[in-house]
Amino acid sequence: MIVLGSTSEVAQAFVEKALREGERFERIYLFTSNKETTERFARHIDVKFLQESEIIELDLTKEINYQNFDYITSSLLFCATGYLGEGTDEGLYDNKNTQRIIDINYSKLVPIINYFAQKFESRRSGTIIGLSSVAGERGRQSNFIYGSAKAAFTAYLSGLRNYLFDKKVHVMTVKPGFMATKMTEGLPLNPKLTATPKQAADCIYNAFKKQKNVTYVLPIWGVIMMIIRNIPEFIFKKLKL
Amino acid sequence: MKPNFIQKVTNWGNFPIVEKEMRSEDSFRKIKEFVLDHNEVIARGNGRCYGDASLGENIFSTKKLNKFISFDRLNGVIECESGVLLSEVLEISVPQGYFLYVTPGTKFISVGGAIASDVHGKNHHAEGCFSEYVLEFKLMVENGEIIICSRQENSEKFWATIGGMGLTGIILSAKFKLKNIETAYIRQESIKAENLDEIFRLFDESESWTYTVAWIDCLQKGKNIGRSILMRGEHAFRYELPENKNKNPLVLKKKFSPTVPFYFPGFVLNALTVRLFNFLYYKKQSKKEVKNFTDYETFFYPLDVVNDWNKIYGKSGFIQYQMVIPKETGKGGMKKILETIANSGNGSFLAVLKLFGKDNPEAYNSFPVEGYTLALDFKVNSKLKKLIDQLDEIVEAFGGRIYLTKDSMSRSSLTNYLTNVQSSKFVSLQHKRILNNTK
Repeated sequence: MIVLGSTSEVAQAFVEKALREGERFERIYLFTSNKETTERFARHIDVKFLQESEIIELDLTKEINYQNFDYITSSLLFCATGYLGEGTDEGLYDNKNTQRIIDINYSKLVPIINYFAQKFESRRSGTIIGLSSVAGERGRQSNFIYGSAKAAFTAYLSGLRNYLFDKKVHVMTVKPGFMATKMTEGLPLNPKLTATPKQAADCIYNAFKKQKNVTYVLPIWGVIMMIIRNIPEFIFKKLKL
Repeated sequence: MKPNFIQKVTNWGNFPIVEKEMRSEDSFRKIKEFVLDHNEVIARGNGRCYGDASLGENIFSTKKLNKFISFDRLNGVIECESGVLLSEVLEISVPQGYFLYVTPGTKFISVGGAIASDVHGKNHHAEGCFSEYVLEFKLMVENGEIIICSRQENSEKFWATIGGMGLTGIILSAKFKLKNIETAYIRQESIKAENLDEIFRLFDESESWTYTVAWIDCLQKGKNIGRSILMRGEHAFRYELPENKNKNPLVLKKKFSPTVPFYFPGFVLNALTVRLFNFLYYKKQSKKEVKNFTDYETFFYPLDVVNDWNKIYGKSGFIQYQMVIPKETGKGGMKKILETIANSGNGSFLAVLKLFGKDNPEAYNSFPVEGYTLALDFKVNSKLKKLIDQLDEIVEAFGGRIYLTKDSMSRSSLTNYLTNVQSSKFVSLQHKRILNNTK
């Protein structure tokens, strides 16, 4: 199994869920920009499940040497990489912030998924799970740089799913909605609309087993986003969302 | 959106409720920043203590310190971060043939909380407190440094932290010993006792048992006072088990656990329903003595079966009152306590009696001292403070003390027994209340 964004609580909860369900992997490749936290997770799954793993440092903002990953074989990729950045006000006109959001959520992320997708394609098997966001469904004033990067990522996953369909590789898009994670800590989220990483992982695992194409973590988000998508633009632009 | 970490926080008794800053981090660098940036910090595990012990101005939740570090499967030594729950330890240790040496009545407490409260179990008379089996822990102290505390290293901090209610720093991780078991089952005997004299006699007779505890019907009066059921148990050996349990003796079947969906309205728990519950509980066992095998979850954690059971007490919450009265005067004290409760009509749904063994003088901040301990839960209402005052008076007269982990309204002369913990950095609501209240 390959995990991109291994410090993500949802990614870690997903790994645990899969292991608890009895899945075993020859090795779990934990890609991360934070070695310390990931090392603790690697030890944790070793203690708890006797599951071997390997930590691979990856900084998406730097040049990546793909040859270093040639030896990696796996049939499952879980991508939880994401960066919320600053929303509007201070963040909007800060080009460094904008660039970072686009890089981590889309432009630097896609080539690395492509690299592994190609491996999956040549072996004609595997599953790619990508965590996108409901923020990508319609640009809202509060976080549309992030939202636009996630919109691009959603479109990428959808195209990839289509492209890999007859090559026997499945691509699943997850749109989590609010989650109680590091990314959102301290934000005033409605608890009824907010999933814990564990809830999210359970739901993603079930969707993975059922080979779903697109899944919301909490079903309510499907309804909310349907409404949001269908608000006419001349009204939508006046809303403070 | 700017982060705002102020939130409503309350412990298991839903009383009191505070609106304070609560943060959770898994990076040691960020935890250090939090400690250095704030004046009054208190660590909080899973919030399963009852009163105001883990509440404070700036709460650090150890929920994200939830990783295992090592498990020596040969010697039964486990190391994990402080936010790991006892239930998570059991999840991996039981199938390997290891159990916690000491466990309280719920498995949903954190390892850090178990040390800070120095929890005890049904085996205190035989095996002491949780701290007996702690080899070392890592503690973040006032200046943000992380020190290793053990019996040899920083031993002064080690003993101050044990039972120290979080006032010496933030416990980050701990290493402790586990006990060997052959099966996940307990050989159990339940014996009915007519009154207090009989239950005390049964406790004395059961001294050689590892686990003993009694449930008391605390609304009985006169000659029935102390009507109770004693439960005693031992970890079952494989050869003892009936055949149907012997195939896979370390693995239990997954059980359904219902969840209490909402806070019960205030009138649901009243003197009548509590009396009825106690009556039925006592009558449920028709024979004087029952011997059977039960799985460890049912034996140790009967209440954990129902998620969020604290909600049955309604929104106003409840308190747990646990005191200990030294052995010499214990029986008389218990009788007085039970009489006072029965007369007040403010019954307790659950009243649990235990005999504590000798205390460990090194663990000077631990609650248990040799004697009788009774734990009761009371719904918070307008009459409660008066009852607690009456009970406190009796406990004081008999030279007892109150368990800090459950305290939220007892008088400070019964709860100020902590030493070596004064700190301007690590401060809890409870400690402030105790210091400010001179009664």
